[in-house]
Amino acid sequence: MPVIVCPACDLAHRLTTAPAGGRGQCARCRAQLQRRENASIDTAIALAVCALVLLLLSNAYPLVAMQVNGSSRDTTLIGAAAGLYAQGFKSLAALVFLTTVVAPLLQIVSLLYVLIPLWRGRRAFGQTSVLRMLTRVRPWSFMEVFMLGALAALVRLSNFAHIAPGIALWSCALLMLCLSALTSVTSTEQLWRWVEESRE
Amino acid sequence: MSSPATGRSLGLLLCLDCRATVRGAKASHPHCPRCHARLHVRKPHSLIVTTVLVVCAALLYIPANVLPVMNTRTIFDDEPDTIMSGVLVLLQSGSWPIALLVFVASIVVPLLKILALGVLLYSAWRPSPHRRLQRSELYRMVEFIGRWSMLDIYAISLLATLVQIQSFASVIVGWGAWAFAAVVVLTLLAARTFDERLLWDTPQHD
Repeated sequence: MPVIVCPACDLAHRLTTAPAGGRGQCARCRAQLQRRENASIDTAIALAVCALVLLLLSNAYPLVAMQVNGSSRDTTLIGAAAGLYAQGFKSLAALVFLTTVVAPLLQIVSLLYVLIPLWRGRRAFGQTSVLRMLTRVRPWSFMEVFMLGALAALVRLSNFAHIAPGIALWSCALLMLCLSALTSVTSTEQLWRWVEESRE
Repeated sequence: MSSPATGRSLGLLLCLDCRATVRGAKASHPHCPRCHARLHVRKPHSLIVTTVLVVCAALLYIPANVLPVMNTRTIFDDEPDTIMSGVLVLLQSGSWPIALLVFVASIVVPLLKILALGVLLYSAWRPSPHRRLQRSELYRMVEFIGRWSMLDIYAISLLATLVQIQSFASVIVGWGAWAFAAVVVLTLLAARTFDERLLWDTPQHD
């Protein structure tokens, strides 16, 4: 009988056939063990394509425009990082750029790169390295945190300026929902299960 | 009392990259057969690396809260804002839910994270069979809330980019923001380098 170990406390468990969708908990530390739910690869690809479109929209259009005394300024997602860079805070700019632009983009593109060939019964070149990179990059994708940060900034600005939300603000909000759905259907365990199924 | 069967006692290794369970880790440098990642019984040098990261984060927590995170420069004056005064500005503008959110994310969470990581490190250095479940849950909470502290950094970056109106006002980022971002990143890294399984390893009696 196959045995798995709890990632949180190393307790060994016999892998019984848990009911589909059931969440196995570790008997000792109550951490979630391997989820048995089987999302379909079609759903994952659809969500990833959707996220990609939203990400492109979010970067192509202004996030917010501000009007004060007749003059107007707007910014894009990349513009926020560029503003920090312009003020000489290069490492801070890099951090904002990596967590709001690079990490979400890498997450979506690498998923599509691996999943589309798998869906067609093939294997992407460098699949293993791409999947390992994905698991390392994913925790640094901070879209939902950025959204609330933007909200806090807008509330502060609305005291003395007129704020007009841009297209990118709405697409960022949708992107945030889309990315969290995508992450939950493409858990690390699930991705490798698809890889193993395709080998058989 | 017999100790429960663990991955370590059965010679099973968990691949942290792909979550595969690998049997027979007899090779001196075992690799995961599925994703080729290096396998370790526990994350290497987990305690010492995490301790260094947490100490650095605790030291930077002081400038992060004392130094201004931004300066609002107008023709009349130059007004520095720390994280706390930023929360007060939000509160005065009447949006208390946002003020509460920023207060929790930027002041409570970083402090709690540093303290919680300290407690976890202490209990990993001196493993005891008591309250292990609570400590495990404390770790999971630290891991879950950690990212939300970045919220203020994003707010500052947007303010600094938007508020650049020559005749009216401009926002200049302060070094407090740098220190604050460093605290957030260091605690995120600390939570990642910490091996929570150490909390459950029974003390070795020779």
